[in-house]
Amino acid sequence: MRAAAALGVRSVSDVPATHSSAGVDLVRQATGGDLDAFEELIRRLQSRVYGFAYQHLRDVHEAHDLAQEIFVKLYRNLGRYDPERPFEPWFWKLAANATINYRRKRVPLPAESRDDAVDETAGRAHDPALLQALAQLDPAYRLPILLHYYADLSLEQVGQSLKLTVPAVKSRLHRARAQLRNSLAEAEQVQETS
Amino acid sequence: MTEHQPLACARVRVLLESYADGELARTDPREATAVRAHLAGCADCRRQHEQTVSLPFRLRALSSPPPPDSLIAGVMRLVAPSRVAYRRAWTLIFPEAVLATFILWYLSGLEGLTSVASGIVTDLLDLAGWGSGSGRLPSIPRADVLLLLALIALTAIAAYHLSILVRLAPGGLSGRRAAGD
Repeated sequence: MRAAAALGVRSVSDVPATHSSAGVDLVRQATGGDLDAFEELIRRLQSRVYGFAYQHLRDVHEAHDLAQEIFVKLYRNLGRYDPERPFEPWFWKLAANATINYRRKRVPLPAESRDDAVDETAGRAHDPALLQALAQLDPAYRLPILLHYYADLSLEQVGQSLKLTVPAVKSRLHRARAQLRNSLAEAEQVQETS
Repeated sequence: MTEHQPLACARVRVLLESYADGELARTDPREATAVRAHLAGCADCRRQHEQTVSLPFRLRALSSPPPPDSLIAGVMRLVAPSRVAYRRAWTLIFPEAVLATFILWYLSGLEGLTSVASGIVTDLLDLAGWGSGSGRLPSIPRADVLLLLALIALTAIAAYHLSILVRLAPGGLSGRRAAGD
């Protein structure tokens, strides 16, 4: 974590910024239409949202676009949020939907420019093997992994976000972890032989 | 892998995920015991198991580049109404107030309202009579025409004002900055 800070990167395991009572008040104010509160809310969420988008798309420019889209969608849907219910699961469900829709409509970038965008930050990553393995994962498996481990959603919440049953989420997580494990083992073997 | 092992490595690899998160022990304790026994004697699978156990922690500890400074500004530009739109929304209050004051002054309370209502009824009846050819075209007082024009103007301005407010408030929210902004 300290190493990550020194590298100028932010960990995905930061404490959710909207769980405190101040965070709850902020959400309430933003829901009431206070733009300053909304700005502060996205300031607190931006690291995790941008990180989530980056881990999913592996491209800094696209991560920026997706994070922006998630926040605009949040603003437009704040009126539908029920303040009696926890904010984070509701928000991440919205973020997951925005991510799915974003992937559907996005035009793939030329391979060269994508590689440049990834390489820009890959050199600074503290777990490059895992990042590489995650990048190779099918999006259908990567999204549940990110929502569960990155956004810290429960299996039920991941299921709600992706319109999947809990057993289906478990199955995807199992397969995803198995694929990640295989990729990591292969990477280790390559490293040992070289 | 070895003959005395009850489970093959390939089978253990398949079961590792559910073994690591404890589900196998719940659903099939015998198989979980067999996996444990296999792991004790197979270094390759043990390494895979360690990988499996550490994976959630490594995933949680993943780092990403910091968000660019332009992210928040970009979002706020997209969602926040412009200052011009705000000014327009507030300046509309002035003509609305003028027109409303004039109308209220003209009506001057309940008495004025009833006199306007009776005047309208009389005018309508006179118009009906003129239409059927039994009477003359009624002469409508200028002040009444003025009142009618003021009402039409107030309705149009209020409708325009409402449309601006709706545009300023996506998602049914009344987007607003704190006082002083």
